[in-house]
Amino acid sequence: MESVLEQSVAANPELFCPAVFGRAVHALSRVGDELWLDPTVKGLALRSVNSAQSAYACFIFSPLFFQQYSFMGCVPKQSSKTVKCKLLMKSLLPLFRCLTSIERNVECCQISVSASSDWVIIQFFCRHGITKTHNLRFQEKEALQAEFASHLCTNVLKAPARLLGDMVMHFPVFQEEITLSATPLRFSLRNYEESGESQVKMMYTEMSLHPEEFEYFHVDVNSEITFCLKELRGFLSFTESHCLPVLVHFDSAGKPVCFSVEDTLFEASVVLATLIESKSTDSIQPVGIQVHATSRYVDAAALRVHACEGHGETGRERITSSQGSTVSPQPDPIPPLPQTQQANKESISVNTSPASSMVCTLLFKALSSEHDDNVCAATPPVLAGYSDEEMMEEFCPKSPSL
Amino acid sequence: MKFRGKIVDVACLNHFTRVVTTISKLTKTCVLRLNPDNLFFVLSGKVANGGVSMWCELSQANFFDEYQMEGVSPENNEICLELAPENLSRALKTIQNAKSVKVKLTKKHCPCLTVCAELPTLSSISRVVTHDVPVDVIPKRLWHEFKEPSVPDYDVSIYLPPLKTIKNVVDRMKNLSNFLVIEANMNGEMNLKIETDLVSVTTYFKDLGNPPWGDGASQDGGPTQSRDPDSMAEARVDVRKLQQFLVGQQVNPSKSMCNIVHQSVLHLILLHEDVSLQYFIPAVA
Repeated sequence: MESVLEQSVAANPELFCPAVFGRAVHALSRVGDELWLDPTVKGLALRSVNSAQSAYACFIFSPLFFQQYSFMGCVPKQSSKTVKCKLLMKSLLPLFRCLTSIERNVECCQISVSASSDWVIIQFFCRHGITKTHNLRFQEKEALQAEFASHLCTNVLKAPARLLGDMVMHFPVFQEEITLSATPLRFSLRNYEESGESQVKMMYTEMSLHPEEFEYFHVDVNSEITFCLKELRGFLSFTESHCLPVLVHFDSAGKPVCFSVEDTLFEASVVLATLIESKSTDSIQPVGIQVHATSRYVDAAALRVHACEGHGETGRERITSSQGSTVSPQPDPIPPLPQTQQANKESISVNTSPASSMVCTLLFKALSSEHDDNVCAATPPVLAGYSDEEMMEEFCPKSPSL
Repeated sequence: MKFRGKIVDVACLNHFTRVVTTISKLTKTCVLRLNPDNLFFVLSGKVANGGVSMWCELSQANFFDEYQMEGVSPENNEICLELAPENLSRALKTIQNAKSVKVKLTKKHCPCLTVCAELPTLSSISRVVTHDVPVDVIPKRLWHEFKEPSVPDYDVSIYLPPLKTIKNVVDRMKNLSNFLVIEANMNGEMNLKIETDLVSVTTYFKDLGNPPWGDGASQDGGPTQSRDPDSMAEARVDVRKLQQFLVGQQVNPSKSMCNIVHQSVLHLILLHEDVSLQYFIPAVA
């Protein structure tokens, strides 16, 4: 496996469809307050994690998504750290806040990241010759990467585009957590309230449907998992706007659940930690969740894989509030097994491995989708001709090797 | 005590939802009374509500395809429940496309009004959504608090101008003063007035018409002192209470009118084919 290129580089992708990119930013803004922008030769990755480290989202746009994707980089020797840039969501989100006006007015959008200076420069080339330039300062941070062994999950579902959104809309907007329950015969969602006095007077909602409604429904182990709804909603609004079916990988309570979508030009996923129910009492006890291993796809399983062990045995601190979080965002390179130092309810351990290479190879194994919508056509037309045709070919490879 | 109702018609479901949503905008909690013919949403005029009271009557046959109930006892064939209409409204709003909706009284973690909807799908087995709205059963000894209000001996009864128009006026007046005076006469004239140290603003409505049941002062037809048709009866009310009434209106009434008992109470009545809503706002000095 090749080592990943460091990107103390200048990458100049130009966006074919800024609105799609903007929707990804919106979805990520519902997860965390910071966005990791990670340009690599394989594509542009955007990632975010919430403060409780119970939700992680990742959007990866392949170079094909862009009209022009140029990635110039020095290739230093393998260093243990990769440098990524981290932006504040509140600096980035306002640029993409009004998607309809972006769709109407912005003809072209250019993002440049230069590690030599600390700026990310986003330029919108709008109609009537107007150019808006935004300079955002980024912080160099360790990479954010949660790894999730989806191929080890016993339960896999594939839901058609609108199904999950239609289910989730029955729950009030302020509903924080939701319990998903799956058996081979039935799939249901219900709202979750922490035990306590308020439980008595809460309105309970449950929605259930038959496995027939899914494109693919494979439940080996009956399971009930409880996770945060808010972060999922942001992801679902993105997937619905692209009419993409959603893959759900999950296991038993305590193990994370992953919702993911793929398209020829991008892929997106959100990984959510789930509550573990203690057998001794009825109340929910939080636990640090270990997430190891690598990519989602079977063919990449040859890479370093740690089994998902240690669930449920680690730090059983009881936290009364559901947002208990004193976790610092500094990830350890190798996640320690007992996470007793983390006094939060759920967490996903994050890694600074050179994992982006693995993730990037997946872009080109994307499943073909009949749901390509108009903006993400396989070969985007060039809006303005470029003189450097060779440069485009060089930096927009069809094969993953470089 | 048992209750089970089923709505299958989409227009009925929609109408019922809008009524419940209107109620939810008027008050946070209210009492639902059920008898074999009607449903009532009742808010009794306690100090906690600022003296405001509400009575909304629905004829069950106009909404439910099936309706079965067994009250507390055969002599008192009624059920009285306290609930938060907001919960019921939320439960109904998301299931507007349901094939059928069942509402039943159940006992889950506490007594609940369970709304169970079957939603259309492409597959042979429907999607099922269940909402459990928690309720409190009101014991019979308290039922007297939730009786139908008697129509007061009003001084003036007049049809209202379009609610939207009043709402616009009241919204702007609210910025200037906390109290608003509504006055009307039996000649179809109504004025909305506010007065502060700096400014007074009046909006005049004419040709509104008066309901045909005449001046209320003596309804039994006894010695009538016919009221001078031009003389105004007024009530000074808290503008926010009036605004709250206007803001929630989701259903366009076929008739809307108000009765004024001079310096005592403002009684607003909205009539639809199958729903009537009465709202009482006490006057302040």
